[in-house]
Amino acid sequence: MEMVGERAEEAKLEVVLVARKGGFGLPTACPVCLPVYCHLRFANVDFKLEFDRANPDSGTSIFAASLLLLPLLLPSTLMFSYTCSDHIPYVEYGDYVTFNNEKGGVIECLNEDNVVKLDSQLSKDCFPDWASTKVMISTWLAEAVQYELWVSCDNTIADDIYFSDLPWPIGKILHWKQTQAVKQLHGITKLNAAEKEEGIYRKANIAYEALSMKLGSEVFFFEGRPTSVDSLFLGHAVFVLHVLPETSVLRSSLLKHANLLRFVQDLKIRLLEDSHSSAMGPAFSSDASSSSVPRRKGSKQNAKPKPKEKRERTEEEKAFRRRAKYFIAAQVVSIVIYLSILGGMGDSGLEDGDEDGLAYEE
Amino acid sequence: MAIPSDSEAGPNPKPVEELEAESATNDEDRGEDEDEIEEEEEEDGDDEEEAEEDETPAAQRENINRLFRRLSGGPVRLRVQDIIIRGNTKTKDALIEAEVLDAFRSACSMQELIQAAGLANTRLRQLDIFDSVSITLDSGPSELPGTANVVIDVVEARNPLTGEFGAYSKPEARSWSLEGSLKLKNLFGYGDIWDASGAYGFGQTSEISAGVSLPRFKAISTPRTTRVSLLSQDWLKFSSYKERLLGLSVGLISTGNHDLAYNLTWRNLSDPSHLSSKTIRRQLGHSLLSSLKYTYRIDHRDSNLRPTRGYALLSTSQFGGLGPDSRILRFIRQEFDVRGAFPLGFYNAAVNFGVAAGAIMPWGRGFMDSTSPLPERFYMGGHSSPICSLGGPTSLLGFKLRGVGPTDERRAILTKHGEDEASTSSGRIASPGGDAIGGNLAVTAFADLSFDLPLKLFRESGVHGHMFLNTGNLVDLTLAEFKNFSFRGFLETFRSSAGFGIIFPTRFFRMEINYCCILKQLQHDHGKTGIQFGFSTP
Repeated sequence: MEMVGERAEEAKLEVVLVARKGGFGLPTACPVCLPVYCHLRFANVDFKLEFDRANPDSGTSIFAASLLLLPLLLPSTLMFSYTCSDHIPYVEYGDYVTFNNEKGGVIECLNEDNVVKLDSQLSKDCFPDWASTKVMISTWLAEAVQYELWVSCDNTIADDIYFSDLPWPIGKILHWKQTQAVKQLHGITKLNAAEKEEGIYRKANIAYEALSMKLGSEVFFFEGRPTSVDSLFLGHAVFVLHVLPETSVLRSSLLKHANLLRFVQDLKIRLLEDSHSSAMGPAFSSDASSSSVPRRKGSKQNAKPKPKEKRERTEEEKAFRRRAKYFIAAQVVSIVIYLSILGGMGDSGLEDGDEDGLAYEE
Repeated sequence: MAIPSDSEAGPNPKPVEELEAESATNDEDRGEDEDEIEEEEEEDGDDEEEAEEDETPAAQRENINRLFRRLSGGPVRLRVQDIIIRGNTKTKDALIEAEVLDAFRSACSMQELIQAAGLANTRLRQLDIFDSVSITLDSGPSELPGTANVVIDVVEARNPLTGEFGAYSKPEARSWSLEGSLKLKNLFGYGDIWDASGAYGFGQTSEISAGVSLPRFKAISTPRTTRVSLLSQDWLKFSSYKERLLGLSVGLISTGNHDLAYNLTWRNLSDPSHLSSKTIRRQLGHSLLSSLKYTYRIDHRDSNLRPTRGYALLSTSQFGGLGPDSRILRFIRQEFDVRGAFPLGFYNAAVNFGVAAGAIMPWGRGFMDSTSPLPERFYMGGHSSPICSLGGPTSLLGFKLRGVGPTDERRAILTKHGEDEASTSSGRIASPGGDAIGGNLAVTAFADLSFDLPLKLFRESGVHGHMFLNTGNLVDLTLAEFKNFSFRGFLETFRSSAGFGIIFPTRFFRMEINYCCILKQLQHDHGKTGIQFGFSTP
């Protein structure tokens, strides 16, 4: 308890953003976590970045996954009553915590609780425009990213972001479940897949055009200063440009708008790569015990983490294979020893069972 | 000629004249007996009936007495020539033979044969797939003197589907529970028992499981059990999380003292209340448990509900992280539990005492700074008696469930005050209490004096009184902090309680009404002085 109390005392002094792990040259590779990261950076909040590796963006429960195994035994109430909703990312400030699945999200909670006040002084004139722009980014563009990530693109991207730190069988099942959930959410079936895809990309194109027209040559979307709209779009655009493959339709659509690209590049340098800027505070900090995020100094550095990861993977692969061989050899030896000893066990075990009746009874 | 050897009352016992004919198998009377055997075999059924009709009860008693005199005079050399199995329409012969062969193979005398027949009968009944089992010893071929045939008559269960309902304590459940189960016996004739069960426990536990048990699998003679279970446990009140398990457990070794089981479990910890503390939040999510658990148990106490003499020992070792995947939960867990009881010689009084300890530590890369998995840690508290079952360092009377040990502050909820409060800031309401986060090192000890109550009615029904003294400690000691561990400090933080009460033992559980007095507790413990009810299962 003393150690916990000390930790609490330390924790009260800092803001902690718990997000999904980094990758693709980004501090966090999750499209839901990136906007929150950007929002805190815009607000010049000095925060610490930690990673949650055990809660993928599945939005489902172990009971739903068990449909594969025990469909006849589970009552329907048990199957659907414990669905988990995604609470990541969340922000901790001492013992104050705000989760992503509360009150409209982390950014809304931070605004309402006056922890971050980027949206608090918006003028009444631009508020309607600001609100509709925010809704457009939060719905049309978010759906497009979700579609590309879980349905149209290669599985490896989602695996790297959400499931690479989970044991293989769990990751595979949850990935499959999440894919089905996204398809169900968008009403995508084999018959209407093409139509749904066309509709999603059409809305995304309209959103990009509207945002490009709104931004013009300005630095920020509203009133010359960052608001949550800038956080949401920057997080979205950074994800589309850096994570989605070059064959991505969404990425191609975004590349058509030069001012949006300028917006992303300028702010990305300031927020995500400039770790020495005193105006914007530290780029990001990570927990030494849990973080594996490499430091970023510029766009050219994006290529470096990948070779390092490849080298590490090669060494890890070797170590993995060596351990697997040892494991299999140990299993074979133990089975041989067990079978050879078992031949001499004979009646002694059964006689003991007769004495206390514990051998075959529960 | 045949000698029945069964403890079931089902089939009619063999007539005495058959006993008389079978009794003469020792070396001295072998020739005479063989003549009698030959005569019996040559005679037809009518002659046998005539012989039976001529026997008087006095003659039968004399024959039996003569048999017993012969048997008590010394070993009567005899060996088994053949085993004949009758009555099994579904059950495989190989299964029955495998259960009884070892017993009969080693028998070389009549006495040993009778003993082996009794053992074989017990084994076959323990398969739980027969309504009755009858083993008869018959004479062997006439050309092979000194031999006998064993005839096993079985009556397979008429209704292979059975149901049960009761209070149990299963390894899959964390506490005892009410359970209903359906069993399908001997579906494929290998003694396989399939069961499906549902359980609801008083620790907000619900479980659905299905399993199969095999008495033997090919050359492996020890029973095999496999179980798939879906378990839900609600710890929101104590630790702000819910636990869901989808597990596969395989019993590898299950003998009287040794138990080895492999467990593969997909576990998900969630917090629908969003009130969990930081320590709990960091452990929420999905995990895979692949572990081997070995239990060594000795229980030489005269009773589980009210031991008055004897001793018991439990050692449980669990190794988690089996598999090449480094993302599987990795830990080593060890528990010891030692009990003893000795009578005092008056009022049926006895002193029970016990010490239990347990430790868990993670292993693997970065294990010095990592924490052990939350559900595998030790938790202390609850009203279950430490006497009945060997459960490790978990019980500490007087303290609530998970009411002892390290805690962490729950999440604070920001609220906006009304007009009379400062308008510039929001108020804060911290959630009441904290989350029990368990510990890596646990030690408990107890001493209990049980005695009969003066009323004869209580004595006859087994109701008795007891006085007890409990103590225990639970700390969260990581390997990095081990260097700073102080044994004196550990001793100084022991909690303790004392009390007295009345125990009502029933067939299924033991109920206690105790008055507990908390002698020592720390700031965040949940101990309460007063009257408490406790239920325990042996």
